[in-house]
Amino acid sequence: MNRLTNGAIAGAACRTLALLCGFACAPAFAADTAPYQVAEGNKVDAQTLSGWKTWRAMACERCHGAAQEGMVGPSLVNSLKVLSKDEFKATVLKGRIDKGMPNFDSSKMVSENIDNLYAYLKGRSDGKIEPGRLQEIGK
Amino acid sequence: MSFSTRLIRWWPCLALAVVPAFAATSDVEQLTKDPKNWAMQSGNLANHRYSELKQITSKNARNLQVAWTFSTGVLRGHEGGPLVVGDTMYIHSPFPNKVFALSLEDQSIRWKYEPKQDATVIPVMCCDTVNRGVAYANGKIFLQQADTTLVALDAKTGAELWKNKVGDPKLGETTTNTPHVFKDKVLTGISGGEFGVRGRVTAHDMNTGKILWKAYSTGPDNELMVDPAKTMTWTDGKMAPIGPDSSLKTWKGDQWKLGGGTTWGWYSYDPATNLVYYGTGNPSTWNPRQRPGDNKWSMTIFARDLDTGMAKWVYQMTPHDEWDYDGVNEMILADIKVKGQPRKALVHFDRNGFGYTLDRVSGELLVAEKFDPKVNWATHVDMKTGRPQVVAKYSTDKNGPDVNSKGICPSALGTKDQQPASFNRKTGLFYVPTNHVCMDYEPFQIEYTAGQPYVGSTLSMYAAPNSHGGLGNFIAWDAGTGKIVWSKPEKFSVWSGALSTAGDVVFYGTLEGYLKAVDLNGKELWKFKTPSGIIGNVHTWEYKGKQYIGVLSGIGGWAGIGLAAGLTKGTEGLGAVGGYKDLAKYTELGGVLTVFALPDR
Repeated sequence: MNRLTNGAIAGAACRTLALLCGFACAPAFAADTAPYQVAEGNKVDAQTLSGWKTWRAMACERCHGAAQEGMVGPSLVNSLKVLSKDEFKATVLKGRIDKGMPNFDSSKMVSENIDNLYAYLKGRSDGKIEPGRLQEIGK
Repeated sequence: MSFSTRLIRWWPCLALAVVPAFAATSDVEQLTKDPKNWAMQSGNLANHRYSELKQITSKNARNLQVAWTFSTGVLRGHEGGPLVVGDTMYIHSPFPNKVFALSLEDQSIRWKYEPKQDATVIPVMCCDTVNRGVAYANGKIFLQQADTTLVALDAKTGAELWKNKVGDPKLGETTTNTPHVFKDKVLTGISGGEFGVRGRVTAHDMNTGKILWKAYSTGPDNELMVDPAKTMTWTDGKMAPIGPDSSLKTWKGDQWKLGGGTTWGWYSYDPATNLVYYGTGNPSTWNPRQRPGDNKWSMTIFARDLDTGMAKWVYQMTPHDEWDYDGVNEMILADIKVKGQPRKALVHFDRNGFGYTLDRVSGELLVAEKFDPKVNWATHVDMKTGRPQVVAKYSTDKNGPDVNSKGICPSALGTKDQQPASFNRKTGLFYVPTNHVCMDYEPFQIEYTAGQPYVGSTLSMYAAPNSHGGLGNFIAWDAGTGKIVWSKPEKFSVWSGALSTAGDVVFYGTLEGYLKAVDLNGKELWKFKTPSGIIGNVHTWEYKGKQYIGVLSGIGGWAGIGLAAGLTKGTEGLGAVGGYKDLAKYTELGGVLTVFALPDR
């Protein structure tokens, strides 16, 4: 419950920040930290799109929920606020077997797209990318 | 424990002495004839889920009270139910698949068994670790563990008698089904239709665990255990031989090796014909474009000779599945009037939304009608060809990959999933727990990696539109005419196995956690909120002159997890997720058996 409330506050703060900054400071902000590009919530760069396709192909939603908000597995919207990129990679590739998270290092698609998967989920966690189907920017 | 170990050592000698007397059969059929027992998961060989007990009636059911409770100490989905044999109850749990033997006298634990299983099996069961219960015969308890190990235990001590592993979890093969004891054999199946597993059934020697026969759902004739000239199927309005390479011809290349057709349902057996009946699951992948053809024999009812394993007849309900309508649901054997004529029937409520009645001896198709009026993916089943007539706009194959086919009813959960129906021998009607859920389905191209998910479709599920808004119905069905007799709306899918009794009461559980008793007209007589949502099956027994009703609660399973994925854009479809998410307002995880009885006078 606490975490939910904090999340909501953080979300509200982000929106305020975005409003204050407007379009002028957004690109700088994104260039500094964000590993993804997004437009209109559901259009992303080619790499991030591959990340979403990897998410979809591995059926991650069966545990983490269609909107990454968690079901049997934890909410990735929350987890990606806490995990470093290296921790994220280790978790996906090596798994957390005792907790029910499989290791995906045997999957070529995941190994090749681990950075893209991180970019997609970071975008979801940041609230910049909408849940559901995505398409490539400019296509 | 040391006591058990000692028992294991000298058990073989004892078994040797006892075996010859029982070699031809087992005592379970006889045990099921005494309604004081609940000796098989479905009550009897024919999957009736019906009891002759009538101390609890439609007149007094409103007085039911909790008699005692028992916690399994395990979270997540509790499917199946306990067995009762004499003065002992055998209770199972989901992974780690504990088994408890309880004394009915004082509910003390006589023994407890907990297998050691590799935790890597959990994720390949994604997303729930259900188990549909143990089987009993000749002083043995049979447990089908999640990691595919079939185990026989001494029913008196819990000591292991034998083990046999029937699959490999590293390939995504797991097991959730109950073992089925028919005559002198134990039959088991396999799960993993979402991991490119190749389905099969194995028959084991009850005393040693040795595999006697193994019959695949897809592939060459010898591995299917079919006779091209003698195995029959419904063809142009009559039964005809299936012919050579009936499966291979309906797959592109080697796709049949990843073909699915898993076998995790409720089998039945007819001693009169010596035939065992079971269904096979979805073809892999869920992206139909990757597997052109009818994909035989996925989505099929098999009738096999129990002794030889050879198929006598087959019937494929959903050729070339495009919606994940597994055909594994229970096969109920009932002698009923079909269109006025007495028939030895097999009745099957398929995921695809059609209730089928077949002649179980010959395999002839007699009735195929929708058991939810909202079913829309097919207009009807052509009674001459036996094929469903697919509506083009709901064909996820025609619409193709990366196209979202919307408004398909039922959803992949099916109009009914594994939750077994009850056949009431008094009324001749079937009481059926159902889902009232539709879906959007968007297939996509997928590559196979051993042991990784092999699904290839994104789904979004929601309550059937323009209806009562709930996700389920509990219905009464006339299998002789293919008509719904009555339908009782439910807020959530009814994911609990039903029970009907000679006391004219029908019982079922709900996902919120209510155990409900209704009369033969569907009128609610009584309900009680158990500690967690119910996906277990209701059962009944008698001990020292008193009738008891029991049910496992413990929310989980597919519906409990609320697989509702693939939002098309932004918040669209969130209502679907919300549908099952609402469950959180009513219940939490936790496995508990609750037992009810009438108060003492």
